[in-house]
Amino acid sequence: MRLSELIKPVQDHAYAFLDEASKRELRRKILKGICIPGYQVPYASREVPMARGWGTGGLQVTLTLVAPHSTVKVIDQGADDSVNAANIRRFIARVAAAKTTTDTCQATLIQSRHRIPEERLLEGQVLILQVPEPEPLRGVETSSAAAAELHADADYGLMWLKLYEQMVRYKRIIQGASYPVLVNGRYIMSPSPIPRWDVPMLHQAAHLTILSAGREKRLYCVPPYTEVRPLEFDDVPYQIEDVRGMVCFRTGAAHKFMNELPQADGSSLFELSDSGYGEKILSETDLGDTYYDDEGRFYHAGFLRN
Amino acid sequence: MAYVAARGGEQAILEAENLYRELLGTLSLERVKTIEETLPYLLDRVMGEASIYAPELAALAIAQTGGELYESVLLLRAYRSTQPRLAYAVPLEQNALKTVRRVSAAFKDIPGGQVLGPTLDYSHRILRMEVLRGENITHQTKPAAQPSDSSFPALAAWQRQAGLLPEIEADQTTASEIPDVTREPLLFPVSRAHKLQSLARGDTGGILALGYANMRGYGAVHPTINEVRLGYGDVMLTHPSTGVQFSAGQVRVSSSEIVTNFAGNPQDPRLELGFSATLGWNEVKTIAASMLDLSMERSNHPSQTPEFVLYHTEPVEASGFCIHFKLPHYVTFQSSLEAMRGVKGERQKAKGERQKQSKPEAESSVALEEAIL
Repeated sequence: MRLSELIKPVQDHAYAFLDEASKRELRRKILKGICIPGYQVPYASREVPMARGWGTGGLQVTLTLVAPHSTVKVIDQGADDSVNAANIRRFIARVAAAKTTTDTCQATLIQSRHRIPEERLLEGQVLILQVPEPEPLRGVETSSAAAAELHADADYGLMWLKLYEQMVRYKRIIQGASYPVLVNGRYIMSPSPIPRWDVPMLHQAAHLTILSAGREKRLYCVPPYTEVRPLEFDDVPYQIEDVRGMVCFRTGAAHKFMNELPQADGSSLFELSDSGYGEKILSETDLGDTYYDDEGRFYHAGFLRN
Repeated sequence: MAYVAARGGEQAILEAENLYRELLGTLSLERVKTIEETLPYLLDRVMGEASIYAPELAALAIAQTGGELYESVLLLRAYRSTQPRLAYAVPLEQNALKTVRRVSAAFKDIPGGQVLGPTLDYSHRILRMEVLRGENITHQTKPAAQPSDSSFPALAAWQRQAGLLPEIEADQTTASEIPDVTREPLLFPVSRAHKLQSLARGDTGGILALGYANMRGYGAVHPTINEVRLGYGDVMLTHPSTGVQFSAGQVRVSSSEIVTNFAGNPQDPRLELGFSATLGWNEVKTIAASMLDLSMERSNHPSQTPEFVLYHTEPVEASGFCIHFKLPHYVTFQSSLEAMRGVKGERQKAKGERQKQSKPEAESSVALEEAIL
């Protein structure tokens, strides 16, 4: 036996880039997040070879969970080929040797910025959402120490007041993306800047959602089959974006979230925001069940009151 | 045409990176060495913000990015973040530093004397055009008649003896137990360890901006520089089996002390101390940072609020978030546009209905409503 035989060959980085100590910390924090749905768990958040604010929180979670047998999908604004999604996917494939896909139904891990795919995620799939601002109360309380106390006391009056003030000013709630939700009847949570269209998809979902903010060093989770309710007044129901009348010019699909493409003549064309779904329609691949059917009905009947 | 090929970002980002690197020319060991030898203060700044003392790696980071400093810091931080923590060094005491420069503005002379050391403070800021005409310039210093000591006590230590500063108990926390901001999230209220560590690795420009705001007019204190110090510190490690302490090498460090008068109880006024230290020689940063340390929590002004100061002077996070706005945001934009169009549509509809009604009563209620809005 020679000493050199006992030494592991030098590697420039660990499997999936992060060292084991970092991964262990993240796994523990993720477990805590799953145990306390919607609660923001602080974590160290290591620097990774990508700029902060570019999905480093989501990336750290993905790198922690990825294994050689994983199949990874990465989307940005719903698109697999958006430049930053392409870059993150390239990095994950490079350091973790995992398979990648654009098909939502094939993926075991889906890292996403600003969208949830249109096809229903199933048990065993994990959705990892990149989060720029984990604190839903930031707009009404700038101090994170004070905000933590408000969460501890479930003192959410300021949040309701904010929505009420929007009603007074505009006669409707004007919150666009990042619509605040109440998780498991306890914590108000920012669902990340997904459109209001996507927020109901978190409710009683079969899959696990992990939301991670690298720059702000917080992660939080929505475990499978958890109540997730957008804040709504009894007499002012929650409103998703109105997509009626929009038809994807590439696929003919309707009643899905659309990108608006302004045309020179002042009109607009629409295309499916979920590019993987569009790709499957065009290549006539079998489609999974969607959250909203072709008439625009949400799959949990009665959840949307409007 | 396939749906995805319509945009095809993957090839584009690879080529964009290629173009950046092509314009920088060949990356070579020679280039890295030249940067390491000729730009020590730039290296110090980058190493301080990256909180890793590795001049060769810092030179490589600067060469690799063509001097894009936020990118250089990120390269070093991303390297550092995955390195194992093998050992803890013995804390560096000010009086154990091999000090090459230590000046005080508080007293004309201080124990150990004023030591100017290397500085551009009194240089005439004139471009040396003759260099561009091919002339080489070298400088030679005359040795002092009497060499100064190689280490000095902190001025604050003398002030404590003299009863000007309150006595403090030395913190007995072992090195491995000290909260480490690179391994734990920054939480508020912030611990002093995290505060000083965050200032030490803070963005030089950001620390200067907020420190200057405090000095210039938003601060509650009038600062006097107790001392500014540049020196070399031995990284003392303890041998794992023999227990013998040994030096693993020297690092360049800088530190500043700032004092203010009339702190504390009006019946028993004392000086109060602000402190900062960082890896590398970076005087402007440690002066501004010790000012921020001293000013912290004196009022609710943002420049004196730990959360405001420490979050927003984090170079990797601040620069990363700033440039992330280049990423597409059309989903969030679409979502708020839809809400705005909804409001506009409702308004138009309401206006139309109002015009149909001609009762003066209704008119006045409309006017009132518009006034409220």
